[in-house]
Amino acid sequence: MDKIMPESWKESTKPHLFCPGCGHGIVMRHLGNVIDEMKISRDVTLGIDIGCSLLSWNLFNVDTIQTHHGRTTPTMVGYKQVKEDRIAIAYMGDGGGYAIGLQSMVHAAYRNNPITVIVVNNENYAMTGGQASPTSPVGMVTPTSPSGKSSEFGTGFHAPEMIAGIANKNAFIARGTVTNPIQMASLIKKAIECQKSGNFAMIEILSMCPTNWKTNAKQSFEMLKEMELLYPQGEFKTGKTEMEQK
Amino acid sequence: MKLQMLLAGEGGQGIQTIAKILSRAAANAGKEVSYIPSFGVEQRGTPSLAFLIIGDEAINYPRFDVADELVVLQQRAISTANKYVSLNTTMIFDSSTINHRSLPKIAKKILGAPVTKYAFEKFTPKSFNIIITGKLSHQLGLDKAIVWEVVAKTLGKKLTNPEIMKATKAAFEFGYDLTFEEENFSEPSYLPETSQIVMKGFGKTAYINPKSCKGCGICIEKCPVKALAFGETLGVYATPVPDIDLEKCIACGNCKRFCPDAAIKVDKDKKA
Repeated sequence: MDKIMPESWKESTKPHLFCPGCGHGIVMRHLGNVIDEMKISRDVTLGIDIGCSLLSWNLFNVDTIQTHHGRTTPTMVGYKQVKEDRIAIAYMGDGGGYAIGLQSMVHAAYRNNPITVIVVNNENYAMTGGQASPTSPVGMVTPTSPSGKSSEFGTGFHAPEMIAGIANKNAFIARGTVTNPIQMASLIKKAIECQKSGNFAMIEILSMCPTNWKTNAKQSFEMLKEMELLYPQGEFKTGKTEMEQK
Repeated sequence: MKLQMLLAGEGGQGIQTIAKILSRAAANAGKEVSYIPSFGVEQRGTPSLAFLIIGDEAINYPRFDVADELVVLQQRAISTANKYVSLNTTMIFDSSTINHRSLPKIAKKILGAPVTKYAFEKFTPKSFNIIITGKLSHQLGLDKAIVWEVVAKTLGKKLTNPEIMKATKAAFEFGYDLTFEEENFSEPSYLPETSQIVMKGFGKTAYINPKSCKGCGICIEKCPVKALAFGETLGVYATPVPDIDLEKCIACGNCKRFCPDAAIKVDKDKKA
């Protein structure tokens, strides 16, 4: 039996609870690979939010905390303050990160708390049935916007750009996508390294939701392509350069 | 007269849709009906129950502890459904995906039907729940025309294509006239594969884990040389697992990189 999954994944709980074709699985897999590569599976504490992200409660072989909705960031900030040698990763969806939990994230960035925040953006509230979220693009048909989302409710929330405006100069703020896993893995790695250097790191990852978008694999990637045009990828704050870290 | 029916299956199979159609049809036929769903936070792949009560008198409470008829449509739902079985329970199960030996022995009567097999062979895999709806409405003594009206209304939005509508009606009528197997159950031939598939050739080795594969098709979509296609083996959700053509494969690693469930990888053999 050849093991395909990352070492840090818990083998007994597979297949995991995410839907077939969910982008969370791809993100989790590369997060697992980064944890393996950096050999930090004994040092990481993963905080997970309410929403589809909570389905990773038993996915990893690392310490995991289930927090209240939108309160993953402050929980992990507090955790990091008392356990300075741990690596705190807050993992959430766009509902927990940008709707109910936005003020927590803004203040964590403003105070430059040394944690890593990973926000998976799939443009809807997937667990409750795909309602429109702040990041839904104009015209998206959801149960709460049956004739397409109106621009009155926002044209798509660009959070990393906004947080980059108030974050410390040494913070790391970036956006990646699951269609480019190599870049995504390098962003996750940089975000963890930034936390190790004592600064706030936040990355957003564009992902897909085949269950609520009602798409197959091909249509999911087509929709993700449109999403990538709306949300530009890249590093908005690059953290400390290697020279500065030395 | 009151009949308590429990449908047990897995999220994504259509358990709640079947229960919704049956309860609406029974209400249209002038019966007293209550239906309440019970499932977890996950959208796919965990046990999903539907409590259905149909009777002639008013119903006071929608839940029950003992089912008169228990319909099990997925092997993994048996442990959840077990506590609703009594000596007077009639069990109905899908004999093409469930081994009848794993069912509780105390049930009064066990009826099977290889629904998945019929769905795969005669119709499309997705018509599985339509066949069940037809069979159960017959079992409940509901009129065919009334139930079909509700099916057409409930699924109307999805079935805009008249050909699919026709096929759905054929599947429904096939289900309505289906007879149960009472003793000689058919072999569960649509069970998921559990062992790892290893394929060697052309200097490459491919590993596929049907135990993890959910059949999302991302690897097929992301393969740059179209070396992958759905095959015959079944994965964990009874969906087909991809087959790999090692002659075309260039071992780029995209399937491994994109697979959300860590179910596939291709390695280049080390040169001796």
